[in-house]
Amino acid sequence: MNFSVFETDKNGLQKFYEETIAKNETYAPVEKFGKYDYKKVSALPECDPDSPISLTMSVKPLFFPRSSKIMKYEENREGTIITETDEDPLAGKRVILGVKHCDARGLQVLDRVYKWDYIDADYQKRRENSVIISTRCNKADVNCFCTSLDYDVENSDAHDIRIINGLNEKIYIQAVTEKGEDLLKGVPGLQFSVCSSEVAGEESAKHFKAFDSSFRLKMNYKEVNEKLQNSFDSPEFDPASKNCISCNTCAFICPTCHCFKITDEKIKDTGIRYKSYDSCNNGYFTLMAGGHNPRPVKYRRWRQRAMHKFVYYKERFGVNLCVGCGHCAISCPVNISIFDVVNQVV
Amino acid sequence: MEQLLVPALCKIDKIIEETPDVLTYRLIFKDPEMFGKFKWLPGQFVEFSLLGRGECTFCISSSVTRPGYFDCSIKKAGVVTADIHTMLDEGMDVGIRGPYGNWFPVDDIKGKNLLFVGGGIGLAPLRSLIQYCIDNRNDYKDFTILYGARTSKDLCYKEEIEEWKNNPTLKVILTIDKPEETWKENVGVVPKILEEVVKPAIENTKVITCGPPIMIKYTLLSLDKLGFAPKDVITTLEMKMQCGLGKCGRCNIGSTYVCKDGPVFTYEQLKALPDEF
Repeated sequence: MNFSVFETDKNGLQKFYEETIAKNETYAPVEKFGKYDYKKVSALPECDPDSPISLTMSVKPLFFPRSSKIMKYEENREGTIITETDEDPLAGKRVILGVKHCDARGLQVLDRVYKWDYIDADYQKRRENSVIISTRCNKADVNCFCTSLDYDVENSDAHDIRIINGLNEKIYIQAVTEKGEDLLKGVPGLQFSVCSSEVAGEESAKHFKAFDSSFRLKMNYKEVNEKLQNSFDSPEFDPASKNCISCNTCAFICPTCHCFKITDEKIKDTGIRYKSYDSCNNGYFTLMAGGHNPRPVKYRRWRQRAMHKFVYYKERFGVNLCVGCGHCAISCPVNISIFDVVNQVV
Repeated sequence: MEQLLVPALCKIDKIIEETPDVLTYRLIFKDPEMFGKFKWLPGQFVEFSLLGRGECTFCISSSVTRPGYFDCSIKKAGVVTADIHTMLDEGMDVGIRGPYGNWFPVDDIKGKNLLFVGGGIGLAPLRSLIQYCIDNRNDYKDFTILYGARTSKDLCYKEEIEEWKNNPTLKVILTIDKPEETWKENVGVVPKILEEVVKPAIENTKVITCGPPIMIKYTLLSLDKLGFAPKDVITTLEMKMQCGLGKCGRCNIGSTYVCKDGPVFTYEQLKALPDEF
């Protein structure tokens, strides 16, 4: 099916964003203390859809919240009663602006684990009810390496609408899915000129070429996949992870990390059970009753992290569990990057 | 996902003291409808919540062929299990999610001789299978149960073992690590007794083993020495788990999710996993 492509300029895009925000429940990157996080917005000036990748948190918490309530319960003389959780606040129909290509791809990667066997209905619903509008970055950050991974950044289908800043000062708005098409058609009064997909494709390719040449980091993911497979006993994991302070930041801000833990908070007779982020870098992650721990030391945990991202997930679900966004490297207090670790080992 | 993580409530019908540090909790669902829904096979596990403290993974140690209740045998080993022992009484409520994981291949082992090798609390998952096989006795051939513990006090399910001993269709061999005055059965570690006393025939035999890691390690070596093929040796794996649904990533060994692809593995499958446990 051929989806619409529109050609416009900066003002047209602004107008499109304004209309979208006015007509839909919209989430977009909102600045706070110099960092951008996805928040609900009611007007365009509140947010910046073109926020820089290096300062923008992942969109993952809109689908997999940092912490969510599983249930509430109460104890009385007759025993325990479970009082169910509140309605899912993220289940409604919504539009998300300014998602980076790598971040949108992260959701596509997560889909595979959430659709496997037990289906995560909440996540599924949040996905179905979201329209993702994605802007391709103009320039790579020093830690980015998305073009070196196993997905086509140029023609990515991870989002519903793609926005391309042409080198000719024009802006191309392209629907990628039916959800995106419906949204584009539902925004009236826009002075867009319809554009042939060939023209947009050419401009997109030019833009991508310039974008691709701005990368500092390049690797061959096939080589990494292959070599890492046989590197389980590599001595390089130890020096590569030496500086790690096991703060778990890399996992919490990663668009694809999905490990969680279940914890209880109980005050007097009322308790709440939460599901919240956890990380394999945490020393307690695999600690079992009786004290046995298969990964008691840092290098083993880093080995798990690197291998899970580039070997195990690929084996199981067919894609790398890394989208090359570089967030882990940006946020790491001791400057460890998954890119450096895997390249040091292979 | 959140709905899948909400446990069903169970009442503790009975607490049976097996050893000084192992208690068996007999559980009954508060919602009668759950009885029809909750069907498990030997080897599967549940997420057991001590509300207010958190969830732990335990195998179900009784068989579905004895309906109306199910057992979880819990050894005091860590923080939550210690709290379970001290805080829970008969009549109190706990949360249960499950059953999760795969099960012992009860159909594949039909018509085979069965050799159960258990150590300590490792008899718990085996007990579920033993009960299941006893209740379907005609489907299986010779039965041998080798069970060992450190001392005679550490043997679990003592009353049930007496029943097994009195059952003429079962062969039960018990052992403890060091001699004791009143002890009349074998003395020695499980792998040694396996080689010297049991001397099992390999023909048409499946071995099902569970116990502490050190016992498993040497039992597998002994079985190798006796000539058992790795595909005929079945064990269940212990790994930290949290969700039981193949999502939370805790039980990963390589690309294997122990909570979904396991916890029951053959020795052949175990050999193919990365050496992480």
